[in-house]
Amino acid sequence: MNILFTLIQEMSVFAVAAYLYSKTPAFRPLIKGGFGPRDIFVIYVFFSGITILGTYLGLPVGGAIANTRAIGAVMAGLLAGPYMGLAVGMTGGLHRYMLGGFTAASCGLSTTAEGLIGGLVWLYLRKKNRQDMTFSFKTAMFTTMVSEIVQMIIIVAVSRPYHDAWALVKVIAFPMITANSIGAGLFVSILKDSKNTIESYGAEFSRKALNIANKTLTILPEGLNEKSAKKLAEVILSETGVGAVAITDKTHVLAFEGIGADHHHPKSPISSEKTLESVTLGRVIFLDGINEHYICSIKDNCPLGSALIVPLIMENEVIGTIKMYEPKNRRFLGFNQSFGEGIAEILSTQLLMAKYEMQKNLLTEAELKLIQAQVNPHFLFNTLNTIGSVLRTDPDKARELIQHLSSFFRNNLKRSSEISTLADEIEHVRSYLIIEEARFSDRLKVSFDIEDRLKGNCIPAFALQPIVENAIKHGISNLLGEGIIKISAKERDGKCVITVEDNAGSFCENGVSAAGIGMNSVDKRIKTSCGEGFGVSVSCDEGELTRAEILLPLKGVNDV
Amino acid sequence: MYRAIIIDDEPYARDELRFMLEKTGLFDIAAEGANAVEGVRLVNSLRPDIIFLDISMPVLNGFEMLSMIEKSIMPYVVFVTAYDEYALKAFEEKALDYLLKPIEDERFRMTLDKIVATLKSGEKPEYNRMPLTKIPCTLKNTIKLIDLKDVEYIRSDITGVHVVTADGEYLTDLTLKVIECRSDLFRCHRQYLVNISAIDRININENLSARLFTRSGREIQVSRRYLKTLKDHLGL
Repeated sequence: MNILFTLIQEMSVFAVAAYLYSKTPAFRPLIKGGFGPRDIFVIYVFFSGITILGTYLGLPVGGAIANTRAIGAVMAGLLAGPYMGLAVGMTGGLHRYMLGGFTAASCGLSTTAEGLIGGLVWLYLRKKNRQDMTFSFKTAMFTTMVSEIVQMIIIVAVSRPYHDAWALVKVIAFPMITANSIGAGLFVSILKDSKNTIESYGAEFSRKALNIANKTLTILPEGLNEKSAKKLAEVILSETGVGAVAITDKTHVLAFEGIGADHHHPKSPISSEKTLESVTLGRVIFLDGINEHYICSIKDNCPLGSALIVPLIMENEVIGTIKMYEPKNRRFLGFNQSFGEGIAEILSTQLLMAKYEMQKNLLTEAELKLIQAQVNPHFLFNTLNTIGSVLRTDPDKARELIQHLSSFFRNNLKRSSEISTLADEIEHVRSYLIIEEARFSDRLKVSFDIEDRLKGNCIPAFALQPIVENAIKHGISNLLGEGIIKISAKERDGKCVITVEDNAGSFCENGVSAAGIGMNSVDKRIKTSCGEGFGVSVSCDEGELTRAEILLPLKGVNDV
Repeated sequence: MYRAIIIDDEPYARDELRFMLEKTGLFDIAAEGANAVEGVRLVNSLRPDIIFLDISMPVLNGFEMLSMIEKSIMPYVVFVTAYDEYALKAFEEKALDYLLKPIEDERFRMTLDKIVATLKSGEKPEYNRMPLTKIPCTLKNTIKLIDLKDVEYIRSDITGVHVVTADGEYLTDLTLKVIECRSDLFRCHRQYLVNISAIDRININENLSARLFTRSGREIQVSRRYLKTLKDHLGL
């Protein structure tokens, strides 16, 4: 019983060691996994030390030592894998062997075995994908219990004389198995506690990063300029709580917010060499204020003492930097290098998206210009020809046609905004159709049926014209008999439905009309500006009719 | 005076051209047509010296119309078009000339000179024409285009030229001769052209004539005169 109490007393030493260890940076690799050579060395030294300490703190019992050596070896295996377990176990074992006694060999051997057992459990858990269980009181306790039982068996089997060995085991088995198991359990619990703290720190970082991402989502679509940079700097400043934030492009400071704003002015060229280095190398630079100090290049008594400089990279090219500063009396606390990198990554992605979005808009605009310019030359010259002919027989009608042609072209040229009203679009189409009616005389009849309250409904400019033109080009122009075009606008299921119908039904394949380029681009434009639930759809009945439906949200121009 | 026909789908365009042509005193405008089918009919019945032909027209365009006219009665062609994307092609077709609408007086005079010179020389118009792939048939108020491969046979009688498919019979304005020259259909009788691939079986009569049965079970006469060439053609 005495032995048990002594061993339990010793455990307080291990608890303190575990606590201290969990507070040093050397502990981090054990949480993250993936060790560098330095990490391996530190872990090896620490656990070997624990193992050897277990031996020294042990209680001599009849030429042997009742000890807590097992904890270090098993922990090394359990937390860092079989190689580490084996190495630590062998180190502890060799040390024990050199101390001599009739159990020197068996104890040396069993300590090695204990390290290995810890490692095997680690392997097993990894295979089961339950690495989380390595940091558990129970796992540590049972693993150590099994290791200690194995040790007892080895002592009985290897040590001679057999009688002494048996007598020894009878005395030490119970206290050693109990003390080591509980000790290992406590040891891991302390580490686990520290691990949780560190991880919740990580969660805090993620939350901050997400908040920043959320708030910058609406800022960055305009690209990186002084205005957006200022807003961006404000967001980062308030979310991270650092001393100051600066945003630069490749050469100039775009924004500076926070401490030191009195002498760090936007629009001034970048003066810090470290920032320029970050721009040229595309690398994060962390002046932590301990090993490396931030030295303000503008003012000698600048209160800022540490800085994190993160390049903003878009399509493999640095386009600027984000700089976060802390004053000299404070150091980066809620914060580290990888957090800064994460934010830069998020912002870079957002900038890329903004650029993509802008290009998409440019494309739409270009397409719009194309449609405007795309006045069918056939239409123009045939109309002029018609007017020339009508002029001889009916000068008044010729005048009227010229007026409609002018209004049609004027509309084509002047419309600059993306959004127009249904009434305006109908007017535009009407000029066009009056001319077409004149050209085809008896062969074309047009009717309109537009609900009054839909006239103010908004519609992308020039959305109707290509559809109607299509009906003429692919429909009426392919009819030998009379062509009829019906244009209507109605409300249906909370949407504004504009229908353009012709009675030709040509180019119809299985009820689907081969729509023209104009139609596709109108469909794309409506989907871009109003959403996927809207756009143009075409149905047809071979030789009977083609019906194009334009679905638009029900809203006036002013509601946009 | 030259006999001329105007074919254009826009009435005012026809008016304008008629006005300009009549003013010259060189032409007798025998008729106007509003589409290619009317155009073929008019050429067949009126045998004009020259046609003024719009290119872009409903159903069949001007080039397609030319492919449906018998070589022996092919008139001179002046294409009249609103937009010159077709002008190059018009030249490839070796049209006599082409005019752009609205027609400029200066350009019109040059064309007139060309027309007069060419018609005086008396040489025959020769056009590279696109192959005939479809036969336009007149229904009550529309034109049905029948694919040549759907045709079983074509026969002519006093009421006109009939295109027979598995589905039915349609009247066309094209002549048997044009179709024979411009397609793979085979002449088996003075009044019949048959689509070889539509033949199901042949019964040879004692008097050396024969009867053909098409896939849809229709019967066609083969006259003695054409039986041998038909047999050769089929490798019998």
